[in-house]
Amino acid sequence: MNNTGVTSTIELTSVSRWYGNVVAVNDITMSIGPGVTGLLGPNGAGKSTILHMISGFLEPSKGTVAIDGKPSWRNPDTYRSLGLVPERDSVYAFLTGEQFVRATAKLHKLPDIDQATQRAIEMTEMSDAKHRKISTYSKGMRQRIKVAAALVHDPQVLLLDEPFNGMDPRQRLHMMDLLAKLGAEGRTIVFSSHILEEVERLASTIQVMVAGRLAASGDFRAIRRLMTSRPHVFSVRSSDDRTLAAALVNHPYTNAVELSAKGLQVRTSDFGAFCEQIAPVAAEQGITIRELLPTDETLESVFGYLISS
Amino acid sequence: MDPSSRSQAVIETDALTKVYPGPSGGVTALGGLTVRVAPGVTGLIGANGAGKSTLIKVLLGLVEPTQGTAKVLGHDSVTGGEQIRQVVGYMPEHDCLPPDVSATEFVTHMGRMSGLPATVARERAAEALRHTGLHEERYRQIGTYSTGMKQRVKLAQALAGDPRLLLLDEPTNGLDPAGRNAMLELIARIGEEFGIPIVVASHLLGEIERICDNLVAIEAGRLLRADTIDSFTKASQTLLVEVEEGRDALARELGKRGLTARPYQRALLISIASDGDGDDDRTFDAVRDSVAVLGLPLSRLEQRRHQVEELFRDDDQLEAADVR
Amino acid sequence: MSAETQQAAGVIHDLGYRSYDGKRLGRKSIIAALTWHSFRSAFGFGRSAKAKIVPVIALVGLCLPAIVSAFAMSRGNPRLVDYDTYVPVLRDLLMTIFVAVQAPELVSRDIRSHVLPLYFSRPIKPVDYPLAKYLGFTAACLVMMEVPLLALYAGSIANVHGGAQVWAQTRALIPGLLVGLMWAVVLAAISLFIASMTGRRAFATGAVAIFFLLTYTLAEILLQVESPPDVSKVVPGGPGAPPGAVHIVQGAPAVIPLAEKVSGLFSPFTLFDGVRMWLGATDTGDNVPKVGGFGAIYAVILLIALGACLAGLAARYRKATLS
Repeated sequence: MNNTGVTSTIELTSVSRWYGNVVAVNDITMSIGPGVTGLLGPNGAGKSTILHMISGFLEPSKGTVAIDGKPSWRNPDTYRSLGLVPERDSVYAFLTGEQFVRATAKLHKLPDIDQATQRAIEMTEMSDAKHRKISTYSKGMRQRIKVAAALVHDPQVLLLDEPFNGMDPRQRLHMMDLLAKLGAEGRTIVFSSHILEEVERLASTIQVMVAGRLAASGDFRAIRRLMTSRPHVFSVRSSDDRTLAAALVNHPYTNAVELSAKGLQVRTSDFGAFCEQIAPVAAEQGITIRELLPTDETLESVFGYLISS
Repeated sequence: MDPSSRSQAVIETDALTKVYPGPSGGVTALGGLTVRVAPGVTGLIGANGAGKSTLIKVLLGLVEPTQGTAKVLGHDSVTGGEQIRQVVGYMPEHDCLPPDVSATEFVTHMGRMSGLPATVARERAAEALRHTGLHEERYRQIGTYSTGMKQRVKLAQALAGDPRLLLLDEPTNGLDPAGRNAMLELIARIGEEFGIPIVVASHLLGEIERICDNLVAIEAGRLLRADTIDSFTKASQTLLVEVEEGRDALARELGKRGLTARPYQRALLISIASDGDGDDDRTFDAVRDSVAVLGLPLSRLEQRRHQVEELFRDDDQLEAADVR
Repeated sequence: MSAETQQAAGVIHDLGYRSYDGKRLGRKSIIAALTWHSFRSAFGFGRSAKAKIVPVIALVGLCLPAIVSAFAMSRGNPRLVDYDTYVPVLRDLLMTIFVAVQAPELVSRDIRSHVLPLYFSRPIKPVDYPLAKYLGFTAACLVMMEVPLLALYAGSIANVHGGAQVWAQTRALIPGLLVGLMWAVVLAAISLFIASMTGRRAFATGAVAIFFLLTYTLAEILLQVESPPDVSKVVPGGPGAPPGAVHIVQGAPAVIPLAEKVSGLFSPFTLFDGVRMWLGATDTGDNVPKVGGFGAIYAVILLIALGACLAGLAARYRKATLS
């Protein structure tokens, strides 16, 4: 729906939030632009706190949280262009799905309540169930109706706290497609999760939080390349692993090789050099490379490294 | 485990149906489910909510089906419910542990509830806690445990009764990535080293692809598909090549060698040309040589595989499916 | 063999998973194990010291009259209390406290921690769980009732001389023990049934306590409904009597008011008394209703109440929920 080309940026500047002695968020500065951003971290890392501060429901103990330059705390205007899908079940179980979304539309004082309600319901594929009471919904359906209510006023910014909890695979894929589509339209979507699989799939940018601090931002593969202190690990399958291993060991960029039934693992301290040399080295030996994978470039490995550092 | 039992199905259902009474015809939790679950580690996906819990209750002999039959380890679920419950270890999805009891005491008690004599229960409880990595903490009260440890206690109580089948419901629920990893490795070890058939109900496809040998996908109370994991993740005839720079130059070079490469995100997709005698090496070598000749940094070469997820995608979305 | 000539051989033992091929106990043994477990829970065993406070204080409190009686008997007094009524107010109070606090320990805790699926997925029938809980708690209540009586008995025998006296004590004890059994069986059923309604121990304790308190109060109120007093008439003397002589005619003996007769039906404690009376006990207290011919009804109502509570308890756990 958003064709105006206007985008929103969320800026956190030196934001902290504490409860007595417990520091939930510790001096975080980050900038979130249009597209889908994943907020990743273990339980208790402060993800929910960040989302609640961005949506204006929680005041930062220190620092500022601003959307398009305007602070989100105590700013009713924020709600006009922002939708929040909280983790907890915050729906009224005795209402039907449609009633719930419509009530939210009324709260926003939208000009055309019917149209907005139907559109939001259709977007989240809840048209079949909209006349049933929310108490009869499964967990996944409740999530979707919450998203519908958050989308009813066509917000520029959408915040979702653990949105895929309880969804079965088909529902999850549809929700991911929906969020990807909204992100592609130029909206700023932020979702939090502790399940790497989901974040890896959907987010174009990730913000990794560990113990209230921001551990890393950006594309996780780029982040991995920045971790130069850790050697990269490649897994290779070829027509002659042993000969290839021997050839690679001769080169200074190879730290270690490991042979197993599954293939060859190469540890290298120079990512660039290895990539440039692997094809020529194999060609020289007449070895066919059938598979080459940077094994620790998964979000899981990157995340593991970040947590342990 | 004797060879004959290897080929026998651990779970067999035949047109299994369960309809709960209610307005407008009631709720159909299971609608004609027919499936055979082989030994090994089997993933159960898609069944959510009413379908899954109903299926588990039927398999444990706690609920009678409206129609159809279910057999677990050869026992009929209606007439042999107690025998089934004697040989199945069940790990529920939700919290089910008392906080003010130590792990040792609790697992021992549960062992006795499985019919083990007192001393045997104590010994097997200690062993089960050791196998699940709780040996150090076993005398502490369960209320002081982290989520990961609590999940392990749940697994230990299922293991203590010497089960011939383990039924694990969302075993990585609430765990952080490290805990998830540890739990999955533990389950894989149990399946492989201990030789106990396992059924893992999970909604995380990545997990299932990782540790399961077989997969049963259920949707709306019916079987969507049941097969080995390998058949779900068969290699496709597409090769993915990624270079850190010079992608277009590579595409041109490959074109010169008779291969068509189309761009895909940061990489190139190439159809593998089969030689007819099953030798795909021609394509692989062409890629290798192209890269070497141009001096490009090669960072990924991968034959794309199908994914379990495709089962849940509508056909028009299959094209856009993401790369692993 | 000397150490030099024999090479030490090393062994690595297999610490892998072991199967169990031994004997498996059936349903009955499992029920017995759970019964024992429940019995222990009723006294706070298997938990912290705090959990044992109420049962211990209640038991000690109940034994106090026995101790005092033994002491008094050693000074030459007769036995201070009876075996079948003991000290009614003390027993009513302490047993109410005991079942109100301990019944939730047995059933509400399990509901709160959602541990029931683990029980139901084991080789028992769903009804076995409430059965074991009931048997265990009845046994615990039995201990609470009979131990003081046995202490009273022991204290008495220690202070009497001669076989005939001992025999007299024994004869008096037996009905007392039976009354204790009646108490245990019914109190356990009622309190477990009420407690099984909720997972919150505080609510359950309150509900059980309030139930016993209110019913007892109701019974007492009905008991106080007065009967019309005996009427004696003064009538003039009959023929042949000297003039001016009067003659007092006794009115008919007062009828026991209906309210009093049925008052005891409303409270478990008074139901016990009613059954006791029906079985031929002597009235020893003004809080005990005179039941007249209604004695049999008391017995019937008691059985119905017991049956209803047990049926309710079984029904509560019939649907083996796995979540």
